[in-house]
Amino acid sequence: MAGILSYGAYIPTWRISRDEISRSIGSASMGGERAVASWDEDSLTMGVEAGLDCISITDPKEIDGLYFATVSSPYKEKQAASLIASALDLRKDVYTSDFTGSLRAGTLAVKAASDAIKAGTMKKVLVIAADARRAAPRSDAEQTYGDGAVALLIGRKEEAIAEIEGFSTIVDPIPGPWRREEDTYPKVFDVRIDTRFGVLQDIPQAVNSLLAKHDIQAKDISKFALYAPEARSPRALAGSLQIDPKIQMQELLFRETGITGTAHCLLLLVAALEMVKPSERIVCASYGEGSDAILIKATEKIEQEKGKHRGTKYILSKKMLPSYGRFLSYKKEIEIGWPEWERSSVAKYWRDEDWLLPLYGMKCKKCGTLQYPVRRICTICNEKDNHEKVKLARKGKVFTYTHDYLLGPGNLPSDGINPTTRLLIELEDGCRIWLEMTDHEVEEVDVGIPVELTFRLLHQKSDFRFYGWRARSLRQ
Amino acid sequence: MPESIRDKVAIIGTGVTKFGEHWEEDVGDMLIEAVHDACKEANVDLMKDTDAAWVSTLYDFSGMSGWAMVEPLGFYGKPVTRVENQCASGMDAVRNAAYALIANKYDIVIACGVEKVFDQGGRGLSQDILYWHPSLAWQAAPAYFAPCAIRAFKEWGWGRKDLARVAVKNHQNGAKHPKAHFRREITMETVLNAPMISYPLTLFDCCALSEGAAAIVLTRPDIAKRLVGDKYATIKALSLTVETQWPFFRPGWTGLSFPATVKAAEDAYEEAGITEPLKELDFGVVHDCFTITELMTYQDMKLCKTGEATELIKAGVTAIDGELPINPDGGLKCFGHPVGATGVRMIAELSKQVLGRAEGCQVKDAKVGFAHNLGGPQAIASVAIVGTPDWKP
Repeated sequence: MAGILSYGAYIPTWRISRDEISRSIGSASMGGERAVASWDEDSLTMGVEAGLDCISITDPKEIDGLYFATVSSPYKEKQAASLIASALDLRKDVYTSDFTGSLRAGTLAVKAASDAIKAGTMKKVLVIAADARRAAPRSDAEQTYGDGAVALLIGRKEEAIAEIEGFSTIVDPIPGPWRREEDTYPKVFDVRIDTRFGVLQDIPQAVNSLLAKHDIQAKDISKFALYAPEARSPRALAGSLQIDPKIQMQELLFRETGITGTAHCLLLLVAALEMVKPSERIVCASYGEGSDAILIKATEKIEQEKGKHRGTKYILSKKMLPSYGRFLSYKKEIEIGWPEWERSSVAKYWRDEDWLLPLYGMKCKKCGTLQYPVRRICTICNEKDNHEKVKLARKGKVFTYTHDYLLGPGNLPSDGINPTTRLLIELEDGCRIWLEMTDHEVEEVDVGIPVELTFRLLHQKSDFRFYGWRARSLRQ
Repeated sequence: MPESIRDKVAIIGTGVTKFGEHWEEDVGDMLIEAVHDACKEANVDLMKDTDAAWVSTLYDFSGMSGWAMVEPLGFYGKPVTRVENQCASGMDAVRNAAYALIANKYDIVIACGVEKVFDQGGRGLSQDILYWHPSLAWQAAPAYFAPCAIRAFKEWGWGRKDLARVAVKNHQNGAKHPKAHFRREITMETVLNAPMISYPLTLFDCCALSEGAAAIVLTRPDIAKRLVGDKYATIKALSLTVETQWPFFRPGWTGLSFPATVKAAEDAYEEAGITEPLKELDFGVVHDCFTITELMTYQDMKLCKTGEATELIKAGVTAIDGELPINPDGGLKCFGHPVGATGVRMIAELSKQVLGRAEGCQVKDAKVGFAHNLGGPQAIASVAIVGTPDWKP
């Protein structure tokens, strides 16, 4: 049997209030706020952040596979999982795969990982689900969607903090929503069919089938972590399953983050894992052309994992976007700023990828100086080809900085609105690194403030997505 | 054993165009003006008398290879080298020309420089990211020097007014130079209230993008006497130092000093035989690409103690009537910085000052002065010392 060894999540810093959306574009406000990926984030970068949270106390070299679930990959063709594996510093002989096409992709990835563990072909598999979906301005989806990511490390039951006791599934090729190659935004035939005949039928069917298979009653489940497309469905689902919505349903987080796509039911699962006690059971169910339901039982080890990951704490650490216009620009619905110069060396990026993405520096074996970037000759003592690669600390203090207002052709434009803040950071391990800041206001910055590093999209010159590291204020 | 080049090279002619926006001229027009003016002053015929040339440009679109000078001037059939070393390009062209003369390979040579930034087909500083690393943070020049100002603020309590003082001083001088791009005096308020470029540097803390060309004719002193009598200056020292291109990543970088300048100044002082720069030098032109750079250069060139550059300028030591006028021509602040041309223009200025022929403010009793460049953006420094033939340390 397989189990969950550890968990992690990532919710971006920014929120927009639904009232602000309503005021600006005329749709009726659904209340609360939704999470918004920053201008330099996407499903891939958020997946890296969630992955880092999950494996913060795990040796990445012990992981045998990485499955990445999303319906909003930055690439139509190019595997995001391979890049995430590099940034997370996994071995080169791991199995990487993108799971996509449906919001059920997350739970399907968990099933695939679980089956591999049971079959003994892999010992640890990292499953990451992330979405930063686009929606048409003024649509319902613009308000209901949220951006976020979740990561679960699946492994053998002996080491698990929660056992995966079983799965059940329903496949149901219901019409909507759908998005073809040529569609920017999702299309919906009729929300009433999707909800009444889809969500409200498939989820209970999968859940009931799961419970029946294991001879368990709904009343014996501590938490139901169920997908829902909006704020009304949970009540109907609770009624259908005959469970107490206040006690047994994991809070949907609609008013805090919005619905985070493939990640959402797993985000609710993480919220449940952060709270349940040993031997308590959770049912997690997804939805998308059917439903997968997973039966999970907390083990004794669940207590020791609590507090070790940021998980849903990211929800509390937030900043409000100042306007709907800013929201549209971060979601790429409007293009601002200067056109980028075309060229940047993809070859150089590829050559240096093995230290750029997982963020390795080097320690000279002769003089012992820790330095970045990695090169053959030590910049201090000139020793040639005699260093070891060292993974750099992710936190540090600002040594000096500037706010660069030179926005224009050839200069990386920040979000196109604010100056680019550049930081020279002294990391906790003593290494110096020069990076751009993100997710911040100019007033926050001073010499001596603590910062942490974050994985982001740097730019797209040469029409290629160059990923790398920036820094942000600590997210408490 | 390497020898000092003191008094082995003479500057016999100089030519400097007006610096500014030259939309109606191309590279050739500007080089022709500068080179021919220099040859005229030197009493030489370009094609008949000069043996070789060095031309400095930073951007390829200002001119590449020897073509940069040969094509527009019709200087065919001679050895011509294009020199590029970031902001030190111009002085490096002079350096290479000087060494060739000392080697006795040529008799009369040209060192020139030009930059035509507005021909690049876009606005702003050209920053082709292709030659920087695609994923390591990089930026245009202001953001390289601004963090140094932040460190100076923290370490020594310097403030934005200290920076502004430099710009005000240089504008006062530059207003009187007919070839300067900007010829208007400014106030502290102008600097402090100007748009922010890279905090804490405002528009007026930064030198401008300008176009221009400069040229000098060099020869050995015995030939100089024949051509211009006693109207020549001699080079007392030329130095060049290249440090790391990635200063921020250097473990231990303080931001309070530019090691390249320190080394280049040490080398130049040694070559010229100078031990007390503040006393022995009469004036200098420093690379005030940004106001903070001028202040730190006072310290790096040992004109004052570390942390005390602000006192030096406040006391009026570096004003036009002070003990050691710095940037009597108005500096990069008033001329702008067409990179290839700047170093050559500075050496031309040194030569004119010590011969009593300054086109702008004339330093009283100027006998010996220094020029300093720092670029790349903190990596490459060059120092030149030029004086009258009879000046001795």
